[in-house]
Amino acid sequence: MQTDVLPEGPIRSLIRHCGFTLLFVMAAFVPTLLLQRLFPYPFLFLFFGAVMASAWFGGTAAGLFAVLLSTVLVEYFFVPPFYSFSISTTAEAYFAAFVACALAASWVSSAKKKSEVALKEALDQLEVRVSERTAELMKTQTELAHLSQVLSMGELTSSIAHEINQPLTAVVTHGHACIEWLSASPPNLEKTRQTVERIIQDGTRAGAVLSRIRALVKKEAPAKTWLDVNEVIHELTTFLRDEAVRRGIAIRTDLVPGLPKVKADRVQLQQVLLNLMMNGMDAMAETTNFPKELLISARANEADVMVRVEDTGVGLNAETAEKVFQPFFTTKPHGIGMGLSISRSIVEAHEGRLWATPRSSGGAIFEFTLPVRPRDSDG
Amino acid sequence: MADARPTIFVVDDDASVRDAISNLLEAVGLRAKLFASTEEFWKAPRPNGPSCLVLDVRLPGVSGLEFQEQLAKANLSIPIIFITAHGDVPMTSRAMKAGAIEFLMKPFQKEDLLAAVHHGLDRDRIRREEQAEVSILQSRVEQLTSREREVMDLVVTGLINKQIGAQLGLSEVTVKIHRSRVMQKMEAASLADLVRMSDKLKPRPRR
Ligand SMILES: Nc1ncnc2c1ncn2[C@@H]1O[C@H](COP(=O)(O)OP(=O)(O)O)[C@@H](O)[C@H]1O
Ligand SMILES: [Mg+2]
Repeated sequence: MQTDVLPEGPIRSLIRHCGFTLLFVMAAFVPTLLLQRLFPYPFLFLFFGAVMASAWFGGTAAGLFAVLLSTVLVEYFFVPPFYSFSISTTAEAYFAAFVACALAASWVSSAKKKSEVALKEALDQLEVRVSERTAELMKTQTELAHLSQVLSMGELTSSIAHEINQPLTAVVTHGHACIEWLSASPPNLEKTRQTVERIIQDGTRAGAVLSRIRALVKKEAPAKTWLDVNEVIHELTTFLRDEAVRRGIAIRTDLVPGLPKVKADRVQLQQVLLNLMMNGMDAMAETTNFPKELLISARANEADVMVRVEDTGVGLNAETAEKVFQPFFTTKPHGIGMGLSISRSIVEAHEGRLWATPRSSGGAIFEFTLPVRPRDSDG
Repeated sequence: MADARPTIFVVDDDASVRDAISNLLEAVGLRAKLFASTEEFWKAPRPNGPSCLVLDVRLPGVSGLEFQEQLAKANLSIPIIFITAHGDVPMTSRAMKAGAIEFLMKPFQKEDLLAAVHHGLDRDRIRREEQAEVSILQSRVEQLTSREREVMDLVVTGLINKQIGAQLGLSEVTVKIHRSRVMQKMEAASLADLVRMSDKLKPRPRR
C-alpha cells in the first residue's frame, strides 16, 4: 500500500506495470499450454484471470496490454490452426468471443479498482478532516478552560471572603463577650480568659486560611512564558466586546506594533486586564455626560512594557487612588474588593508596578508595567 | 402566667461562630441552644418559653430561607434573626417579607444582635401571652350552654336585651338571666370586656 504512495517516475511505473502484466499473462499461458494436452478444447479461462489481475493492479492501460498479449498468444497457440497466426473460419467466432470477453474483463476490473481507490481516498480525506477538527476543538477547549479560570476568579474571591469572614465574625463576637464578662461585678475572669483563648484560636484559623490561599496562588504562579502583550489585550477586548456593546461602551485600543515580549503567566495577565477592564466598565455605569469609552493602550521603553486602561467613568481622587488597592475595599453593592488587590500582587510577582491616577477630563487611569527583561529570565 | 426562661436557638454550621454567639449571649445572661444544622434543630426538644432563632443564611443542605418556609409550614412561629456573610438585597427582602426580625451582616455588632434578639423574644412573648389568653377564653366559652352562647354572640354586637329576646323568642327577663350567667362564666367585668374577649376568640390570620 505504502509503495503506491512513494514518488515514482512515470517510466519506471510503466516498466513495472508492463512487467507484472507479462508475468500474469505468462502465468496463464504456461498452465494453459500444459492443459491443452488434456482437454479437447482450448482452455482459455486463465487468460481472463491474467487480464483482470493486470487491470486491477496496473489500471486500464495494463489491462489493455494484457488483452493484447493474451490475444496474440491465444491466436498463435490455441486457435486452430495451432502454431500459426492464421485463423480457420470455424474458429473466427470463437476467437472474437475471446477478445470481447477479455476486453470486458479488463474494463470491469479496472473500473472496480478505480471506484475502490476513489472510496479509499474519500475515507482518507475524511480522516484527515476529522483529526484537524479534533485538534481545533481541543485548542478551543484549552482556551475556554483558561477563560473560565479567569472568570471563576470572582467566585474564588467570594469563597475566600466567606472563609475569612467566619473566624472574623467569631473574633468580633468573642471580643464583645469579653467586654461583658469584664464589666460584670465582680468581673468574671475565668470566662474572660476562656474567651481570649477562643479569640486566639479563631485568629489563628483566619491566618491559616490566608496561608492556604497563598500556597494555592503560589502553586499556580510559575507558568511564565514569553508573551506578546498586544495579543493578550486583543484577546480580552474581543472577549469583552459583546458585554461592552450591551452596556453602551466603546472599547478602543491604541497599541504599538512589535512590542518586546514579556515573560509572564498568561492566565494571570488576563486576570489583571480583565479586572481593570471590568472595573472601568463598572465605573461608567452611571456616566451620562461623557461618551462611554474604554481605552487600552500599550507602549514600551528599554526597560518596561506599559499597559494603560482608561475610562470616562466616575473617576478617582488622589486620596482614593491608593485606597482602591486595599483588600476588600469596594463601593459596589455586590463587590468583593479583591480585584485590584489581587491584580497588584500579580503584577508585583512579575516585578512590575500597578497604580491608579485620576484622568484630567474625568474618569480613571490604571497603569501597569512589566519588565522586558525580568531578573529570573534566562534570556 | 409564669414566664419560663427565654431560649435563643442558634443554627450555624460553623462551630466557632456558634460558640462565639453563645458566649456573648451567656455573658449578657441569656441562654443559647446550639445546632450545627436544621435537622439537629428539628430533632431536639424545644423548651416551653419565649424563644427566637438566630439562623445562618448559608447552610449546607437546606438554606436558611428554605428553613424559614419549613418552619412556617410546620406552624412554628418562632421569630427569626438571619445572619449572613454577604448582603444580598433580594434575599434580604424575601426574608423580611416572610416575617424575619432582622438581617445581620457578619461580622455583626453586639448592640445589633442583642437588640434583634430582644425584639424577637418580646414578639414571641406577646404571641405566647395572646395564645395563652385565647386558650383560657376558649375553655371558658366551652362552659357556656348553647343558649348562653347565642345570647353572648348577640350581646357583643351591641343589641339590648329586648332586641335579643325578640330575635331568640325569649322574654326579656330570661335574656337578662342568661346574660348575667355569660358575664359570670366568662369572668367579664363589663360589656366592653366581653366584647374584647369575643374579638380575641375570632380566628385571625397569623402574623
Ligand atoms: N476604573 C475605576 N474608576 C473608579 N473607581 C474604581 C475603578 N476601578 C476600581 N475602582 C474602585 O475600587 C474599588 C475596588 O475595586 P476592586 O478591587 O476591583 O473590587 P470590586 O470591583 O469588587 O469592587 C471599586 O469598588 C471601586 O470603588
Ligand atoms: Mg473589580
